Amino acid sequence: MPMANDLIKIGDYIVIQKQNYRKLHKLNKPNSTIMLGRDSINLTGIACCPYYSIFKMISSGNKKNKEYNLELTDIAVNLKDEIDVKISGNDNRNIVDDGRSQKLTASEIENLKVDAYRASDIVETLITNSSTFHNKTEYSQDKYLKKKEKKYFEYIQILRPNLRIIAEIMYKLDANKIQGIRVDTLSQVISFANVYSEGVHLLYDSGSNGLMAAALLSAIGSGTSGKLVHMHPGNMSQKQALLAMNFEGEHLNRCISVNVYSVLRQFHQGCDTNNTSSEVIENSLKRKNDEVIDHKVKIPRLENDVISEIVPNVDCDSSEQTQPEPKKPKWHFDNIAASELIRDKVDSLVITCKEDPQNIFKELMEFVKPGRPFVIYYPVAEPLQQLYLTLRSYSNVAALRLINNWMRNYQVLPERTHPEVMMNGSSGFLLTGYILK
Amino acid sequence: MSFRNYKDKIDEGDTVILYLSNNLYAIDVRPEIKSKKGDLVENVFQTPFGALKVRNLIGTEYGSKVELSKGWGHVLQPTPELWSLTLPHRTQIIYTPDISMILLQLDLVPGSVVIEAGTGSGSLTHALIRRVRPHGHVFTFDFHEHRANVARKEFEEHGLSDFVTAQHRDVLEEGFGENLKGKADAVFLDLPSPWIGVPHVLDALKAKGGRFCSFSPCIEQVQRTCLALERQGFQELTTMEVLQSELKVTRRTVPVRDLSFLKHKSSESPVEEKPSSETSYVVGAWPTSTPGHTGYLTVATLPPVFARKKTQETEQNNQCADIDPSGNGSAMAVEETG
Repeated sequence: MPMANDLIKIGDYIVIQKQNYRKLHKLNKPNSTIMLGRDSINLTGIACCPYYSIFKMISSGNKKNKEYNLELTDIAVNLKDEIDVKISGNDNRNIVDDGRSQKLTASEIENLKVDAYRASDIVETLITNSSTFHNKTEYSQDKYLKKKEKKYFEYIQILRPNLRIIAEIMYKLDANKIQGIRVDTLSQVISFANVYSEGVHLLYDSGSNGLMAAALLSAIGSGTSGKLVHMHPGNMSQKQALLAMNFEGEHLNRCISVNVYSVLRQFHQGCDTNNTSSEVIENSLKRKNDEVIDHKVKIPRLENDVISEIVPNVDCDSSEQTQPEPKKPKWHFDNIAASELIRDKVDSLVITCKEDPQNIFKELMEFVKPGRPFVIYYPVAEPLQQLYLTLRSYSNVAALRLINNWMRNYQVLPERTHPEVMMNGSSGFLLTGYILK
Repeated sequence: MSFRNYKDKIDEGDTVILYLSNNLYAIDVRPEIKSKKGDLVENVFQTPFGALKVRNLIGTEYGSKVELSKGWGHVLQPTPELWSLTLPHRTQIIYTPDISMILLQLDLVPGSVVIEAGTGSGSLTHALIRRVRPHGHVFTFDFHEHRANVARKEFEEHGLSDFVTAQHRDVLEEGFGENLKGKADAVFLDLPSPWIGVPHVLDALKAKGGRFCSFSPCIEQVQRTCLALERQGFQELTTMEVLQSELKVTRRTVPVRDLSFLKHKSSESPVEEKPSSETSYVVGAWPTSTPGHTGYLTVATLPPVFARKKTQETEQNNQCADIDPSGNGSAMAVEETG
C-alpha cells in the first residue's frame, strides 16, 4: 500500500516526464493544463495516483489541436516491443538517399497522424511504405525506431521532485538562471561545506533561484537539528527550487531567509532598519509588499510604522510606547533569529553570488567558527582567482583550492558504447578552504 | 570520536587532521602509545617541520595554530573529505568528486537506508554515514573478512556505530541477507562483477522503489551492468564520468614586446629590439598532469512495484554474461542523455 506522501497531492510540485524530457509543475488545481512541447495536456485525474504512475495521452477531440487527456495505464509500451522487424541489411552500400524511399506523401502522413489510434500504427505504416527500411542494418533500424518513438511517444510519467531532478531540469531549461551550477559541482558544494543534519550553516545566494538553498536544506534533512541561514539581497529570496522540493513545514522552517542588509544591520547595529526617516519609509514600503504576499502578516499602516514601534525590544531609540503595539512582521523576527545564530558562529559558509565575492566573503567569514569549511561558487574563474590571491595573504584561511569539474555522459548499448555526442563544458568553479583561529 | 559531531576543542581519543603547508596528516590523539617493545611511551608525531607532542593537542581549539619544533601547523576536525585524503589505504578508494556525485545520484537524505558493497577502506562509507544520519543507516559489506573487521573497529573508534553496520559477506554469492529484503532506499556497488549483484539489489530495495549506483573502472563492466539493470526493470539508466582539476593560481608578469614602432622610420636613436615593458595577470594554470580516469558511475531508478516492467519475471538469467551482439530483443540498454 502506498503511503500518503507517495500519492500525488494538489499543491505539490510534480515532475512530468515524457521520454527524456522533464518539466517541473506546481499542481495547483485538479484540472490544470500544461504545455509539453507543442502538446497541451490536461492533468485531470492524476491527483491521488501514486508517484511513478504512467499515463497514456489520449487525444481529446481534434488531434490537430494537440490537446490531450490522460488515462492511467500499467506500462508505457515501447515502439520496439510492438513492431516486429524481421529483415535487416548488413551495411548501407545499397542505400541511396534519393528522397524517394518513402512512398507516402507528406499529406498522407499528416492524415495518418490524425487518424491512427496508436503511435505504432503510424510507424508501422511508415516502415511498410519505406523501400529502404528493410535494407538498413539492425543498428540503423533501431536508431530509426528510437527517433520515431521520440516523435510519437504517447506516455507520460509523474515523478516526485528531488534535488537531482530539480538540478537537472533547471540546468537544462536555462543554466544562466541558476548561475550555471552543474549537478557535479552542486554535489561537491554540499560535501566541501560538510553540510549535514547538525549545525548551523550560512548561505549567501544571489542567483541560483533557490537551488543552493534546496541542496543544503535537503542535506540538513527533515526531523533534524540543523539550521540554514539563507542571506539574499533584495526584498524576497529566490526560492523556486526550494519550494519545488516539497519540504514539510518543520523542515522548511529551519531555513531562515533574510535580507543581507537587514540582518547585518541587526547584527552590527542592533536593529534591522536604517534610522534615517526617509529610508524607514522606503524600507517598510518594500517590506510591506513582501509581507503581504509572503507571510500574510498584518502590517501596521504606513504612518504608524516608525522604527521605534516595530522593534521595541531592540536597542533602538524608543519613544511612543503608549500606543497599542502593532503586530510585528515575520521578517523582523527572522532577522533577530538569524543574527543570534550568526552571533554564535556557524559551521559552514557557502556563497553563490552574481556580485564580486570578495567583499561578501570578507564580511561573512567572521561568522564562521575556526576549523570550519567554506565554499564559494562562481561561474567563471577570474573573480575566484583574485579572491584566492587575497586570501592567501590571510593568516586565518587555510587549504585554499580553486577547482573545476569535467563531466561526460555515455551512451551504453551493446556494441555501440561511446560518449554522448554532446557534452557540457561549463561546470563553474569552486574556491574551497577552511577558516582558522 | 571527532567524526561524530561538530566540536570546538580537541579531546583525548579524537582523530585530528594536521594541516601543514598543503600536506595533511591524520593523528590519533593519544598521549601515550605502545613502543615496539610493548611499553607505553610518549606519543610524538614526526613532521617535515619537526616533532609534535600529541599530548599538547588535548584541549586545543580546532582551527588553531600548533607549534612544531621547526615551524607550525593547524589542526582541523576531520570531515569525510579530509579523511579521504588522509585515511590508511587498505584498498583503492573513491575520492570526493565521485563520492559527492554518488550521494546526489542516490537521492540520499538524512533518514535514508543505504547499502554499500564493498566497504574497502571506508572512504565512501564515512560520507554515506554523514548524509543519512541521524535516523538513517548504512549497511556496508566486504567479502574480505579482515577488512570488514578493521572497518567495523574503525567506525566504533570514530563513534559512528549507531549509523553503520559493517559485515563480512560475499554479497554476489549470498545477496544482502533476509533482514535487508525490501529495506533499502539505495544500493551502491563497487565490485568487480556488479551485474551479478543486480538481482540482489532488486531484492534489497523497498517496494516503493529506490536508486542504484555502480562504480566500475572498465566500460565492459558498465555494459554488462546496464544489460542486467534493463532486464530487472530499472529505468533512467545513466552512465557518467566525473573528473576534477585543481587550478594553480598565481600572479604572472609577462613581458610586452612592442612592434608598432617598426612601421615608421624613427629619427630617434635606435630602439632596442627586445621587450619594452611588463604587464601582470592573475592566472589559473591548468595542471599538466591530472587524473584522467577514476571510474564510470552507472545509476538507475527502480520504480515502485506497481510501475515495474512485467518482463522481469520471465528472465531469470542472473549471470547475463553474454552480451547480445545483435542488439535485438529485450537485451537492449536504454539511451539516456544527461
